[in-house]
Amino acid sequence: MTKALIDLHDVELAALAAAGGRREFGELVRRHGSAVRGLLRRMGAQPSEADDVAQDAFLQAFEKCAEFRGEGTFASWVKRIAARLYLKRKARNARYVAEVETEETAPLVDTPGLVDLDEALKALSETERLCVSLCHGAGLSHPEIAAALKLPLGTVKSHVKRGLDKLRVRLQPEPASYGRTSHVG
Amino acid sequence: MSADEFDPFVERAFARSPRMADEALFAAGIEAKLASSTRLRTLALTLAGLTGGIVAVRQSLSSAVDLGTAAVTAPVRSLGQGLQNANQDAQLSMQPVLDQVGLSDMVFGSMGGMSLFWIGTAALVAVAIAGAMKLSQEI
Repeated sequence: MTKALIDLHDVELAALAAAGGRREFGELVRRHGSAVRGLLRRMGAQPSEADDVAQDAFLQAFEKCAEFRGEGTFASWVKRIAARLYLKRKARNARYVAEVETEETAPLVDTPGLVDLDEALKALSETERLCVSLCHGAGLSHPEIAAALKLPLGTVKSHVKRGLDKLRVRLQPEPASYGRTSHVG
Repeated sequence: MSADEFDPFVERAFARSPRMADEALFAAGIEAKLASSTRLRTLALTLAGLTGGIVAVRQSLSSAVDLGTAAVTAPVRSLGQGLQNANQDAQLSMQPVLDQVGLSDMVFGSMGGMSLFWIGTAALVAVAIAGAMKLSQEI
């Protein structure tokens, strides 16, 4: 008796998709579509652009499904494809190049307590956001990001560090800020 | 939280992605694209196969290979006759054009103007099929 699609592991579904199984691949898209689209939005893509790139990434993943060996998770594999496609698209538009030298940062909101990641990412500049998302969301190494963005390795490292510092402030406010408010009055 | 603790924390935060309301619609869109891409590819491959088959039959007939009358069945004979007629018709209709552009007397090795015309046509068809296949892959 054949197992229902929902019972199959990603690796099994990917193997069936590599043999041309469109329904099996559809199940993988249902499982991981939101994660891939979410990552692209976190990288700075507009929702419609994120959906376009995610769609292209999944179509490319279907073509390359035989290359997926299950060494990492299927979601990470597609995320990497999607991230690279998004970078190619951005490179074509060459928007991030002008952004590299500028240091535009959204002002920090002085709200104690945790905020969600999507909200916290808004505090980062476009390049910082891109570098942090590529590193911690898509799992690319610093040299891979440097090659993809055509930036010096040191610049990428500093963008990631600055981005993480800003996220740390947003995601984990200093205990002192709680103390300040509690001692007032 | 130290940097060593914060990095995995951020990675976990990235791994947690909210499910989107239209995820079923998104998956259905991709499945539809895959289906149409497969149809287009099947069509292109069928066309390529048919073209290749016709060229092969034509070549085997024109190379004067003696298949032996006993072995050649009536449908094959009629197909061969049809192709030869089509070839003659095409030759008659193309001859004025080749005359006009001065290619009718062109000789390349043992091939005449008409042979070159057929080779050129086959090359164009091959390029068109390759283009269609590439397009289907991109879609």
